[in-house]
Amino acid sequence: MLKRIQSSKSKKITIFFEEKQIAAYEGESVAAALLCSGVKHIRTAPVSGTSRAPYCWMGVCFECLLEIDGQPNLQSCLIPVQEGMKIRRHALNDGDSA
Amino acid sequence: MNTADILVIGGGVIGAAVAYGLTERGAQVTLLDQGGSAPNASRGNFGLVWVQGKGLGMPRYAQWTLEAAQTWPKFSADLLEETGIDVDYQQPGGFEVCLGEEEFSLRKAELEQLRQETANCVANSVGIDKCEMLNSRNMQELIPEMRLGDFVSGASFSTLDGHLNPLLLLSALTAAIKKSGTSYYPDQQVESISFRNDCFDVQTTTERFSAKKVVLACGLGIKTLASQIGLEIPIHPQRGQILVTERTLPLLAQPFVTLRQTVEGSFMIGASHEDVGLDCGTTLDEIRRLARHAVQVFPELSKLQMVRCWGALRILTPDSKPIYVESENCPGAFVVTSHSGITLAPLHASRISHWIAEGTTPEGFEQFHSRRFDA
Amino acid sequence: MKQIYDLVIIGAGAAGMAAALEAKKYQISVLVLDEQSEVGGQIYRSVRTTQNLRPETYELLGADYQHGQTLENAFRKAGIEFLSGAAVWQVDPDRAVHFLRNGKSLQVGVRRLLVATGAMERPVPIPGWTLPGVMGAAAADVLLKSSGAVPSGRVVLSGSGPLLWLAASRLVEAEVEILAILETINFSSYLKALPYLPQALRAVEYLLKGLRLKRQVSRAGIPVFSGIQNLRAEGTQRLETVCFTHRGQSRKFELETLLLHEGIVPNTQLTRQLGCEHSWNKLQRYWHPLLDEWGNTSVEGVAVAGDGGIVAGALTAEASGHLAALEIACQLGAITKNQRDSASKSYRKAIRHHQAVRPFLEHLYPPNPETLVPPDDATLVCRCEEVSAAQIRQAVEWGALDLSQMKAFTRCGMGPCQGRMCALTVAEIVANTQGKSAQEVGFFRGRPPLKPITLGQLAGIAEC
Repeated sequence: MLKRIQSSKSKKITIFFEEKQIAAYEGESVAAALLCSGVKHIRTAPVSGTSRAPYCWMGVCFECLLEIDGQPNLQSCLIPVQEGMKIRRHALNDGDSA
Repeated sequence: MNTADILVIGGGVIGAAVAYGLTERGAQVTLLDQGGSAPNASRGNFGLVWVQGKGLGMPRYAQWTLEAAQTWPKFSADLLEETGIDVDYQQPGGFEVCLGEEEFSLRKAELEQLRQETANCVANSVGIDKCEMLNSRNMQELIPEMRLGDFVSGASFSTLDGHLNPLLLLSALTAAIKKSGTSYYPDQQVESISFRNDCFDVQTTTERFSAKKVVLACGLGIKTLASQIGLEIPIHPQRGQILVTERTLPLLAQPFVTLRQTVEGSFMIGASHEDVGLDCGTTLDEIRRLARHAVQVFPELSKLQMVRCWGALRILTPDSKPIYVESENCPGAFVVTSHSGITLAPLHASRISHWIAEGTTPEGFEQFHSRRFDA
Repeated sequence: MKQIYDLVIIGAGAAGMAAALEAKKYQISVLVLDEQSEVGGQIYRSVRTTQNLRPETYELLGADYQHGQTLENAFRKAGIEFLSGAAVWQVDPDRAVHFLRNGKSLQVGVRRLLVATGAMERPVPIPGWTLPGVMGAAAADVLLKSSGAVPSGRVVLSGSGPLLWLAASRLVEAEVEILAILETINFSSYLKALPYLPQALRAVEYLLKGLRLKRQVSRAGIPVFSGIQNLRAEGTQRLETVCFTHRGQSRKFELETLLLHEGIVPNTQLTRQLGCEHSWNKLQRYWHPLLDEWGNTSVEGVAVAGDGGIVAGALTAEASGHLAALEIACQLGAITKNQRDSASKSYRKAIRHHQAVRPFLEHLYPPNPETLVPPDDATLVCRCEEVSAAQIRQAVEWGALDLSQMKAFTRCGMGPCQGRMCALTVAEIVANTQGKSAQEVGFFRGRPPLKPITLGQLAGIAEC
């Protein structure tokens, strides 16, 4: 869904999404890293269960909520990736993976 | 000038239920509501349909509450059929949780007293028999999906208790009223009532209404209006703060007095009691106390997010029980007020509207008269 | 015992940084809080990280963005106390500011509060806008700044306003495949804006920039469809098609990403909750806190700087930050009124200059009527609770005539975004259905928390 512009200085790191290893680059947000890696949606809507991805990218729409390192409901478009981060969708938002 | 058989003042859950019942009886009803700025107790409500423990000191009220709970299944089915709105009424039984041994023994004694007071009343003995004290282990067995906190000593549990979505109840009642062709004015602030030639003349900020009968069901607003028709109604506001969490998986079927999970999956946590006048605000101290209580009862709630909190006003009489009264000076003027507007909605739509429409006072109703507060 | 600051600034964008720099000159104790991981706000989002780690993107974003680096640099060198990742969830009436940081709720006391929480992109509800692949155009620009990422595959932009063209030109430079730009304004907007052109010429650089952006897009051979209507996004799991009407003809594109934009609006969540008076911008149809010439709100001790007050762009925001800080320094007795007034002159002059272009832009780019009141009943207005335009209209029929009633009837505004995404639309629909103006209908009552907080975090707050 997204692609990265060439960035010559940012270091490649590894994060985990739903137990799967994913390559990310330091300095990018968790939501962006996932959507650059072929993940097709970030959460599922609690009411209808439909797929959602960030709309606003600035912390307003809450479509980017994920569990990061055990902490639920974080706005993943505001949080930069870090080596070894473990990221999951919420229990209620399981839906199909990737 | 707008005319009606019966004018109901107050479009909250009490006024709407009465108007709905009156309409069903074929009366030509006009319903006036004050609109959004009003401190509307129905909108801030917690949503319990509650029987256990109610009626201490007034057996007629215990019986009344019990009858309401028994009428609820049919009432919600009727609303669904008429409006297509499911108010999410469920009756899985409810807990009043006790933290620590002292609370447990106090609660036990309270229920014992109620049992004795209502011993002579057939209907009540059914009600009270459905309520029992459970220790924490027995309680835990009824709640398989969540682990009770260590400090929980037990609870009183009644199979009669239930809960619903109060906002949906209000919309269902309003929808049914509108559908039946009742004149509904959503933004009328009533300023005065006068009684002349067996007729009531009601002046709002923008219009005049005339009716043969008038029902005051407008919460705190009752106080001033009732005095204009010769009734003294001693009611006062009490603030309750409520917080609500994000949605999660269905974990808890039974409502507690202080917390419940809604059909949508969010937890509501409430039950604060403060005398702060008309202030509907929230305070950090109370919200924190509610959160601590919730986490004490169910430690796993600590990871759920609060998405919203609010304060709402309960309308209380001095003994917290309803007032149902017809004015003697101005016959045809009725006051209906209770802080249990949700629980009692089916009776407000049936017994109370029958009383208003037909003028026949139900048995034992003198107990609900406001003169019980005359010193 | 909680620490007490003379001044707490919420938001480290252009206005917040400038205000902190100004206040620092007068030995006022200042704390700046921002929910993001670094300073910059949205205009200068992640400017330091971009410069250090993504030099190619930094280059692409151009001089306007790079100006943020000057601010960031000065801010860092001044040694201003700054907490990133700090989401303010509550401000008490006695001025305790509560914020979440690293999973804990912390609090500080404050004598003067400066709200510099900026603006957000106006949500553009159309059928299908909740599909992955549909997002804001300014959002795409923020994404580029914050993560150096752009949409992959085919893109269509739709809407109106300067930021639509800015986003488009940056995507062109990033070699994104843009199929078309759909403009929701038509020729009559130009006529309405024309009388304001002479005034706008005083800040001619804005007009020239606008022309440059449009030229860049047209040189890339991207078709522009003006005056489009009935925009809708379609797809099953994600966006597949965008459909619209142009000159009476139905058209569609198959695509991967649709970027929507109808201007930006102030974030009023915090000023609402603080009980500040707000007024209504009739042209741009948004609420903003009522401010005096120094940024003071109607609530004593609370000021606003930047786009959270009135949407006027980064350079105005920066100058307004200086003004607010000067006033606060004066209120705290750190400088005299004369000092305040003479120091303020250059900032006022700057603001006058930058604002010259606003009437022209505001008349040229009013929000699309179809955005204000979505004509298609199926449009989801509240994304969180999934409340459709039809449900809002139905609830008006049932007597929900204001926003608290509407919330009670439909649950709109009760999800995690707390009404940020739906409040304006709900008000417009309620107003439209009754033949009123959205101004009369009002806004959701601000209730805590400003940001969701867990019960555990709440329970863990120490008494003070």
